[in-house]
Amino acid sequence: MAIKIMIVDDSPFSRTIIAETLTDGGYEVVGEADSLETTLEMYTKTKPDIVTMDIAMPEADGFEVSRALLRQDPKAKIILSSSMKDEETELEAKRVGICGYVQKPVEADNLFEVIRKVLSPDTLFQELLSRGLDTFKEALSQNITRMAKTSVSFIEDAEIEDPYRSKGVTTIIGIIGQYTGTMILDLSFEVAEKIAETILRRPAKNPEEVLAMVSELANIIGGIACSMLNKREKALGLRVSPPSMFHGNSAELVSPSVKIQKSLAETEYGVIFLGVGFKKGSTLWM
Amino acid sequence: MDVTIINPILSAFTEILPQLGFQQIEKKKVSLVGSTFAYDGVLLNIAMIGSIKGVILIGMSAEGAKSFASKMMMGMEVVEFDKLAQSAISEMGNMVCANACTQFSKIDVGGLDISPPTLMMGQGQATLPVPQAIIIDFTCDSIDVKIYVGLA
Repeated sequence: MAIKIMIVDDSPFSRTIIAETLTDGGYEVVGEADSLETTLEMYTKTKPDIVTMDIAMPEADGFEVSRALLRQDPKAKIILSSSMKDEETELEAKRVGICGYVQKPVEADNLFEVIRKVLSPDTLFQELLSRGLDTFKEALSQNITRMAKTSVSFIEDAEIEDPYRSKGVTTIIGIIGQYTGTMILDLSFEVAEKIAETILRRPAKNPEEVLAMVSELANIIGGIACSMLNKREKALGLRVSPPSMFHGNSAELVSPSVKIQKSLAETEYGVIFLGVGFKKGSTLWM
Repeated sequence: MDVTIINPILSAFTEILPQLGFQQIEKKKVSLVGSTFAYDGVLLNIAMIGSIKGVILIGMSAEGAKSFASKMMMGMEVVEFDKLAQSAISEMGNMVCANACTQFSKIDVGGLDISPPTLMMGQGQATLPVPQAIIIDFTCDSIDVKIYVGLA
């Protein structure tokens, strides 16, 4: 069965050109739209596999229409077609959740390639999901062993129970790149205090010193894990945010938009919770 | 800290909330605090990375969060702050912060992207990775919302 495509463009000329290109390529053009309303209506009616989306349209632009469409169907696969090709347009498209990008005037081979890749399984992402947690565990284990002179063993790998209840000190690091993600480190203040004492070779002077140590440790683990992943697969381009910390916590935490994989690291000082999750934004940029 | 850094976030917030069904979005006050402050209720953490880096937190009381989620779901009753409500608040944060990236790019602060949101539910202290954080107090259809900006 032919792959069903819907074209969103305010210019009848552009729509005709894209439709002809697609039909020649063996795709079935099931609908055309030129505004937000007609897009939502036509999408529901025709249920296309792919939507091509112009950026510049007179009322709602391609980003707004894409947002509305993704609100209606988060699984909608949208390929942006635009004469502009600059970093900010690409970033905006990624943030919106658009899958792919072709430059206008649309070249047939380029468009077919993007469609093929958008519809094929994303192996880079699958690999990141299967390798991600292990890489963070390795970075945690190496650095805790090196800095706090204790061996680390992992006692549990499972999906995080939802919601996870903090042991008192939570550090969150955000990750961006080809995919975005989150690293969560959580431990009790007592465990943090003992680790700080070993690293400092004296008891911490105050709680702030303990928290600063945890923050630094999380920063190192997140940074090293992401560079290990980048080294293996350059296309990931992962970068980390500085850590935000939550302490004296009596709190539960959840990441509604990401599936967090968790692990518990057992050290002689106590248990450290590690949670890592990645999210797919874009799949292809050409 | 340059307080003008909050302008793109203010624009984003006042642009997105009406799209989610809020009618009156009122900025009450902008204040500077140290890097550590107390929170109680629901606190959403979203990191922003690019030519500036850091974190944006969006906080409200537990009751406020339920009303907020209810409003987003067209008045549907929210008795428990359940998965659906958590997802609604996270989605709001995601939309506001993604839009803030766009607003930043308009003033030539480009190349920004955001991490997926993490939601803390309870109480405790938060410490942001900046010496001073900016707190913006909003009232959105009589729900108090605080935005904490820790960007540098």
